[in-house]
Amino acid sequence: MALQFHFTPADTPRGDEENPHAKASTEVGDTIAALREAFGGAVLNEVVYAGEHTVYVKAERILDVCRHLKNVLGFTYLVDLGGVDRFTEEERFEVYYNLVNVDRRQRIRLKVRVEEGAATVPSLTSVFKAADWNERECFDMLGITFEGHEDLRRMYMPEDFAYYPQRKEFPLLGIPGSLPLPPQTPDGQLTMDPFAAAHGHKPVRSYEEPRQSE
Amino acid sequence: MATLPDYAAAKDAFSFWPRHNVAIAERLESKDAWLDRRRGHAPKEAAGDALEHQMTLNIGPQHPATHGVLRCLVKLDGEWIDKAVLDIGYLHRGIEKLAESKTYQEFMPYTDRMDYLAPYANNVAWCMAVEKLAAIAVPERAQWIRMIMCELARISSHMLWLGVSLMDAGAVSVFLWTFQGREDLYSIFDEISGARFTVSHSRVGGLATDLSPRAVSMIRDFSRRYKDVIQGWRKLLNRNRIWIERNRNVGVVSGDEALNLGLTGPNLRGSGVPFDIRAFEPYLKYDEVDFVIPLRDEGDCLARYHIRMEEMLESLKIIDQCLERLPAGPIRSGDAKAAYPSKSEVYYSMEGMIHDFMYTETGVVPPKGAAAYHAIESPKGELGFYLESDGTGSPWRARINAPSFTNLQGLESMMEGHPVADIVVLIGSIDPVMGEADK
Repeated sequence: MALQFHFTPADTPRGDEENPHAKASTEVGDTIAALREAFGGAVLNEVVYAGEHTVYVKAERILDVCRHLKNVLGFTYLVDLGGVDRFTEEERFEVYYNLVNVDRRQRIRLKVRVEEGAATVPSLTSVFKAADWNERECFDMLGITFEGHEDLRRMYMPEDFAYYPQRKEFPLLGIPGSLPLPPQTPDGQLTMDPFAAAHGHKPVRSYEEPRQSE
Repeated sequence: MATLPDYAAAKDAFSFWPRHNVAIAERLESKDAWLDRRRGHAPKEAAGDALEHQMTLNIGPQHPATHGVLRCLVKLDGEWIDKAVLDIGYLHRGIEKLAESKTYQEFMPYTDRMDYLAPYANNVAWCMAVEKLAAIAVPERAQWIRMIMCELARISSHMLWLGVSLMDAGAVSVFLWTFQGREDLYSIFDEISGARFTVSHSRVGGLATDLSPRAVSMIRDFSRRYKDVIQGWRKLLNRNRIWIERNRNVGVVSGDEALNLGLTGPNLRGSGVPFDIRAFEPYLKYDEVDFVIPLRDEGDCLARYHIRMEEMLESLKIIDQCLERLPAGPIRSGDAKAAYPSKSEVYYSMEGMIHDFMYTETGVVPPKGAAAYHAIESPKGELGFYLESDGTGSPWRARINAPSFTNLQGLESMMEGHPVADIVVLIGSIDPVMGEADK
């Protein structure tokens, strides 16, 4: 077997220009131009990486922009919607929208940014029903609220949970006591910390259950 | 932060999560059911016959017909579902959060546990997303092998769907036959990766191991035998009166509605929307093989059944072409910053060992601020990963666009207006996997 690694290759910057996985569908220059024409200042800067355009939009205009994309430009399919926690940065939260034009084979990504103190974005549920659960998930995980969403309950976590687990400051092992789980013995206490051992506590063992006969 | 409820006091009613149950019940009450509007009046209040009463029924999360921990709360008017609320999250493990503390390669085995019926497709989806983010080219041979394995995963997933949905409809024998087929597929995965179920075989920049000659002959043999077997199942079911009656005109979704609800995969194509990532934005070598994307207009459960059956046959066709055109060559990128070195290099050269160590320790490092979305057509639909890098070895944000999650969203409105007995048929026809939907 011939050896291939005789030297450490130079660490060249891995480019956006010649990405081997870039797709033709993400070339949406004409759509962005049309958006700029229709919305002017509400469409902010755009970033290109790996052939994908990310268009930043003013948060308060996102509903209008998406309605325009759907009704005029043919982006009828909302594929994905999700939030990003930029922590430590200005305008901490980001919500991104992944829209597809099935007929013209195009995919565009929009982004809005909001401050932590006013983490509210207009809901898209009036334009795309598909936004419903995605917005709920985003609210559940990051605590971004969606104005106009009729049913903004938590998606995965129970309503009793009081934290937003995907925020960067939320610890990976969870917060003891925040999520009660069923007792480990029929008459036992609720399990308040599933990672008790990691937090230095000794978990209750089933054989420690007091017996009726004794 | 908000205060926690008084669990000790609530112990009699619900021993845990009291607020959660209340919130779902409230939602069920408040839900604006299109059925009421269409009827033009509110459902009948309780009268003599018990079957005409309104009833709230909780199905799941632990119920054999819900395909995993899916909880459905339905409000019944007699035997008909008026309103339905789905509750998911019982399998939530927070893998998006976990990904943020793992290197890119370290996270790959976690994707096995998402759609556990087609783990190979998830591996490939993750690896390709990372490769797009870090601009890593993959050798030809690895791409063809990935394609074969993705299509085998599709067949495996559809086989389980077929057996289980038929069992839900009351037929047991097909379940046993499809599991025979899955057993053959497991043997192939076992031969290739050493694991039957959670294969974890794809690597960033290529594959873990090459196909052995025995694996190639096993795949060839599978493809040869199962064309007839699948046609045999179709012969049994396509004109089976019970199966057709249970499926036709059940859960009808029009094309526009399906797009609006965000359905994906066979559920979307069953409504006549020609959207398949393999054709929409071809990845791997899908633009070089010849295959048909099945499409139906009816939008009911029967259309989705036909689509999945035809997809299995198309997958076999793709596999045959891949085997024919499988080129010789490396199966992993030769760039030490992009992929693991081979074991023979790790054991016999110092550089190889250092690279192996560095790759495990840090791994792929995409540039700071890079963001990319890459999707594949998994058996359930569009499985995409949106990754953001902060210039370190682990993703700053790994967002999973899971097809089961999107499809379940459509199920809620699909169930309304159908009898209780159709719930199981509908869940089967949507084909959700909770490991993926709950992330």
